[in-house]
Amino acid sequence: MKLSTSDAYTIERPASLAVDRTALLELYYFMVLNRKLEERLGVLYRQNQVVGGLYSSLGQEACSVGSAYALERGDFLAPMIRNLGSLLVRGVRPIDIMAQYCARAISPTQGKDLNVHFGSVENGIIAPISVVGALIPVMAGVALEMKMHDKPQVALTYIGDGGTSTTDFHEGINFAAVHKLPLILIIENNQYAYSTPARLQFAVTDLIDRAVGYGCYGEIVDGNNVLAVLDVVRRARARCVAGDGPVMIEAKTFRRKGHAEHDDAGYVPRELLAAWEKKDPIDAYLRWLFANNVAESEQEIAGINTDITAILEAAADEVLAAPFPDPSIARENVYG
Amino acid sequence: MADRQTLSAHKARFAHVPDDKTKLEMLHYMKLVREIEDRIERKLYRQGRIVGGVYVGRGQEAISVGTAIHMLQDDVVAPSHRDMGVFLMRGISPRRIIAQYMGRSTGLTRGRDGNMHMGDMNHNVIAFVSHLGDNVPVAAGVALAFVQRGQKNVALCYNGEGATSRGDWHEGLNFAAVHKLPVVFFINNNAYAYSTPLELQMAIPDVAMRAPGYGMPGEIVDGNDIVAVYDSAKRAIDLARSGGGPSLVEYKTFRMTGHSAHDDAGYVPPELFEEWKLKDPIVRFEKELVAEGVLTTARIDEMQRECEKIIDDAVEWGEQQPFPAAEEVTRDVYYEG
Repeated sequence: MKLSTSDAYTIERPASLAVDRTALLELYYFMVLNRKLEERLGVLYRQNQVVGGLYSSLGQEACSVGSAYALERGDFLAPMIRNLGSLLVRGVRPIDIMAQYCARAISPTQGKDLNVHFGSVENGIIAPISVVGALIPVMAGVALEMKMHDKPQVALTYIGDGGTSTTDFHEGINFAAVHKLPLILIIENNQYAYSTPARLQFAVTDLIDRAVGYGCYGEIVDGNNVLAVLDVVRRARARCVAGDGPVMIEAKTFRRKGHAEHDDAGYVPRELLAAWEKKDPIDAYLRWLFANNVAESEQEIAGINTDITAILEAAADEVLAAPFPDPSIARENVYG
Repeated sequence: MADRQTLSAHKARFAHVPDDKTKLEMLHYMKLVREIEDRIERKLYRQGRIVGGVYVGRGQEAISVGTAIHMLQDDVVAPSHRDMGVFLMRGISPRRIIAQYMGRSTGLTRGRDGNMHMGDMNHNVIAFVSHLGDNVPVAAGVALAFVQRGQKNVALCYNGEGATSRGDWHEGLNFAAVHKLPVVFFINNNAYAYSTPLELQMAIPDVAMRAPGYGMPGEIVDGNDIVAVYDSAKRAIDLARSGGGPSLVEYKTFRMTGHSAHDDAGYVPPELFEEWKLKDPIVRFEKELVAEGVLTTARIDEMQRECEKIIDDAVEWGEQQPFPAAEEVTRDVYYEG
């Protein structure tokens, strides 16, 4: 393993972050699982096995994994389309996500809804809503319930830079701030909302400038540093549980693929993509693991990678052998 | 001496100080607003001569008058329900306003919509939309049209602090900021949104704190001081007109009535009314003008009688107007060219 060169992007562990070796390796495991699962889905997509669109979080894995890892049992998380990694951390199996994307009957929605559009009360997951922003009032409601019942728990959800321009973002975070609800809102500023660049989305440099306008605590974090994300969300969680109200976090990152697999993102300058490729969160974290002697050997890391590949291959085999939903169940679970 | 002192104090505080003629014009309109709203709310409504509810801006007259005074002929305004001064200053006659409140066919909506749901594009006043905050994207759109046409005009948009919690307000401000549109957003922060006090509406003391989050200037102004309103509005409008983009101007004021004529506002601590009564924008301005030697108390009484006469005439005229004919009911529902 080559250690960091002078011009390479490097990450540091925030001084306030206490974390043991097992956790450090788990963070690596989940980020790689996130990436390799998406790569495997990319293959299935090209083989016409995926029903509907495929959305990648390439380059944003640290955001999903670091934030979800900061949560505790009993907390609730609502992902967006690029937070597949958050679901894996919350205990969703890769096969569940693969079966969802391939619309098979063994998926959490029995093949009746796609991709990450499913929830799990046991795992503390609220199903995402396609209409971007709509999750914020929903999660404010979840947080209100926690507050009303004095539960030492938090609700966490995500929004993109584009989603901050929506009605629901504004109404949801304002409501949470007025009622001091334990809500953590992570703005994943990946600089493109489909093809709309940040400069056509808002007239400020940092979206966190909005936090003060809601009376809400806010912080900016390097979204490509999984340790910094874990640290900021843990501290946000502590604030929320202490009754200090919601926390807004702006994670600076970059969407390295198109909006979805069908989009070649020709509107994104190549040099921007190249610059962010050098800031790859997994590569940077791996360098950190070696530089800080967390990873004992290259074999140890290779072993993790091999295990993940094996899990994904077994999952793909099982999914492709599974049936599509039977038409007779079409009307089941439509209403509660 | 007193007049010079007041004037120099104003000049020290403000970039733009109205001349005497403008001051008298503003006082006239503030008094006219108070008179027409008092007449509607405290007399005609109680006599059963008004159709529907009545929402007034008592105590907030300085805001609509001190801002709208800067409008040019082709500027466009999207008022809220407590901005009667905007309608009067845009040249909509008290007669037609009274007819509107009485549901008569010569009212602005020809008797087919109630009271303050009025507008008139002949006067560049966009009809008030009940869904508060909805006028924000509309005003931003008007400003976008000005830019696209190369017109040097501005759009003015008014809302209460309650409406700032609405998504439309957020979307409209953000859009205007991104595209640097010539629009000014005025907030009548009157401390209550129906019965919701400010602290249950937002977790911040000032709406203007939101302005930096959109990348636009924000300012907090005493909304009961018409000279301060005049100055702040002039600067914001000039900035927009010169291509500098939108601003958010927050006027601190107080709603000296219930939400509407049917609401006794029992939820508002009485001492707040007492406190704000002392800050009445009309009484305050009159005192300043007398101190400056621009006016005498006798002249103020005369101005009051002039306003009363205008409204007497409007009411008399309104009473004589017909209600809409039943066969007109489908007219103006869709655009007919």
